[in-house]
Amino acid sequence: GSADQKVKSKLKNPFLKVEDRRCRYRPFYLQLSSFPVVNYSIPRPCSPFDVEKKNAHGQKQIHNKQRNPTNSDREKRPNHVPPKHKRRKGYCECCMKKYDDLHAHVESEQHQAFAKSSQYQVVDDIISKFSCDFLELRENTPKVKRRKCNV
Amino acid sequence: MLSKCWGQWTWPVNIMKDHRLETTLYKIKQLNARLVMEAIHLDEQSPLNAGNSFKKHESNKKGALTDIEKLYQAVPQLANVFRIKGKIGEGTFSSVYLAIGHVRGGREEKVALKHLIPTSHPIRIAAELQCLIIAGGQDNVMGVKYCFRKNDHVVIVMPYLEHESFSDILDSLSFEEARNYMFNLLKALKRIHHFGIVHRDVKPSNFLYNRQLQQFALVDFGLAQGTPETKVELLKVIPSETQQRSSAYNRPPLTVGSQVTSPTSRQLVHQSATKTANKRLSSISQTQIKQGHKRKEDADCHSVQRSVFGEKNFNVRSSAFQARSTVKQPRIMDIPVRKLSVKKKAISVVNNGLGKKAASGTPAHLTCDCYAKDSICSICLSRRQQIAPRAGTPGFRAPEVLTKCPNQTTAIDMWSAGIIFLSLLSGRYPFYKASDDLTALAQIMTIRGSRETIQAAKTFGKSILCSKEIPAQDLKKLCERLRGKTTSFDNSAGDVQMNPSQEFALPIGIGNASDSALQASKKYTQYQKQSTHEDGGKEKKTIQKLPESKGWDRVPNSAYDLLDKLLDLSPATRITAKDALLHPFFRNVKQ
Ligand SMILES: [Zn+2]
Repeated sequence: GSADQKVKSKLKNPFLKVEDRRCRYRPFYLQLSSFPVVNYSIPRPCSPFDVEKKNAHGQKQIHNKQRNPTNSDREKRPNHVPPKHKRRKGYCECCMKKYDDLHAHVESEQHQAFAKSSQYQVVDDIISKFSCDFLELRENTPKVKRRKCNV
Repeated sequence: MLSKCWGQWTWPVNIMKDHRLETTLYKIKQLNARLVMEAIHLDEQSPLNAGNSFKKHESNKKGALTDIEKLYQAVPQLANVFRIKGKIGEGTFSSVYLAIGHVRGGREEKVALKHLIPTSHPIRIAAELQCLIIAGGQDNVMGVKYCFRKNDHVVIVMPYLEHESFSDILDSLSFEEARNYMFNLLKALKRIHHFGIVHRDVKPSNFLYNRQLQQFALVDFGLAQGTPETKVELLKVIPSETQQRSSAYNRPPLTVGSQVTSPTSRQLVHQSATKTANKRLSSISQTQIKQGHKRKEDADCHSVQRSVFGEKNFNVRSSAFQARSTVKQPRIMDIPVRKLSVKKKAISVVNNGLGKKAASGTPAHLTCDCYAKDSICSICLSRRQQIAPRAGTPGFRAPEVLTKCPNQTTAIDMWSAGIIFLSLLSGRYPFYKASDDLTALAQIMTIRGSRETIQAAKTFGKSILCSKEIPAQDLKKLCERLRGKTTSFDNSAGDVQMNPSQEFALPIGIGNASDSALQASKKYTQYQKQSTHEDGGKEKKTIQKLPESKGWDRVPNSAYDLLDKLLDLSPATRITAKDALLHPFFRNVKQ
């Protein structure tokens, strides 16, 4: 498995390469099609690094995505599914497990076991020291009952 | 599935504590995964509805449930106390709701309910609470009122501060307001740094600003880490992973001034938690950790935005600001090679300092001649990836975060504050627009200079090789020029890059700093002449609009001097919050 035959490749300009000075870790690098430039012509308040899409012939088009990420944004990122239909991928710190669907994971047996375990004592210890300023609302009425919320 | 009684608090008894501890100990090792990975998922409706007794009956119409209904379901106690009005923010790890409750006397009070993602580890949750309790409620740091829990669902109740959206008001802020904003941000940072909290995600959406009331609140300790001498005991547990995994802290201990005087009640609040944490700390060094599975996420989860309390429109802005449309998807790591090297030696002993971590049989120490050269080979790529905390937002990450320096301090928050200041002074938000760390670094080099960046990186053990030499920008000229532009400016001008010959070396001498309006306006005239000369009048036209613009024509040089010190590429010399508040820029600031 280790590096028996050495394969070397040259980074294409422009690039950026970052290494640990003691060479203990893998270098990481970035090869860009062009190095960033401060673009003063982009109107305020947009980033001077806002993406200007250049097509092959150098025509430019400013994309102001301040508020609306466009679809083309998403197309460029295969992992990104439009939010509404996206399952929420992530990592569960409780189960130490990656999941592809948050909802499915938190309902899984393993997670539910954790959820009901005494692991949360550390949280409850803190909660138990709070006093609640809020009064309990009586069900179905906006009236206020003079009772502390957690007693 | 489960027959839990709704509305019933879970109050686990203090029994089996030791057993629990052991398990927790084992699991906490994975906590750092969040810092490294930052899962991608931003703005879906919160499907946080855990399995419960409602599920059976509700499954059909589950899709129709609103987020609010789901929250009431997940934490039924909320219904007894609050009327939830709506969701006001959503991030990767939590959603925030506006709710109304009644306090004694029947008075209504608005609160923010922060519902944490149920995959959060209890220790992380507790650490966040401790931050709020210990540091919060004062000096522009958000406090906490109460907390609800049902199983894995935790809701933190905080005072609600109505606030502006940074990008909405950026254009209309006066210079004096901007100065106040910075002063108050630094005050909050001074406070949390005093307690040894590194926030890690300082950005406008986490610093609430009510312009009318001139109120401010730093929020969201969900990514916080502790300095080695943090007063937040639980923070010692979480980041210790990273410290041990990566290397020991090199930086001199954080100066926290005089002794901390937490009110007794506050100490009580986290006493028991502390005990637990200490036990963990004592034995965690013997634990082995598994690292292999994190790497993939590290590769593709760079750009997660965390905006919780502050984003009224649910991260719309921030997901845009992830700039997914980079011209080319950068390849940070070589994936095929990674497969070769990473998976197998995923286990290593935690308890050591520098150097030892790669000693478990990976070909980490094999040398090659790629160092500081424009090449990579199978040898250097077969080394293990360095693990360093990098939670947060690319555009606000300090160079030492972007380059994976393991020794990160409160200085990273100061850098982020500098980025906010840069936005205020230049009128640009977001200032940096990068979807990944190295693009962000390239953009920083474009402003601060490649040589300067490379030089500073050496001081924290990193070699940066850049194929292009880029001169540092003069911050004053940069900001004035960026601010001077108006939307009516002719876009056909295209890319304009400052001519290197016009640049002045940084830093701006503090001797030039003066708040005197006279001197400032003299300089302004000077600048105006200069830019007229340089740009053939085009620049002049836009600059001349400045005098009507709320003090922005009289920005003192001290502003740029402070900016320079916040954006110090070297974390060891970067200005602290405490010192920044004493900077001449804040002379006569109304407090
Ligand atoms: Zn889980």
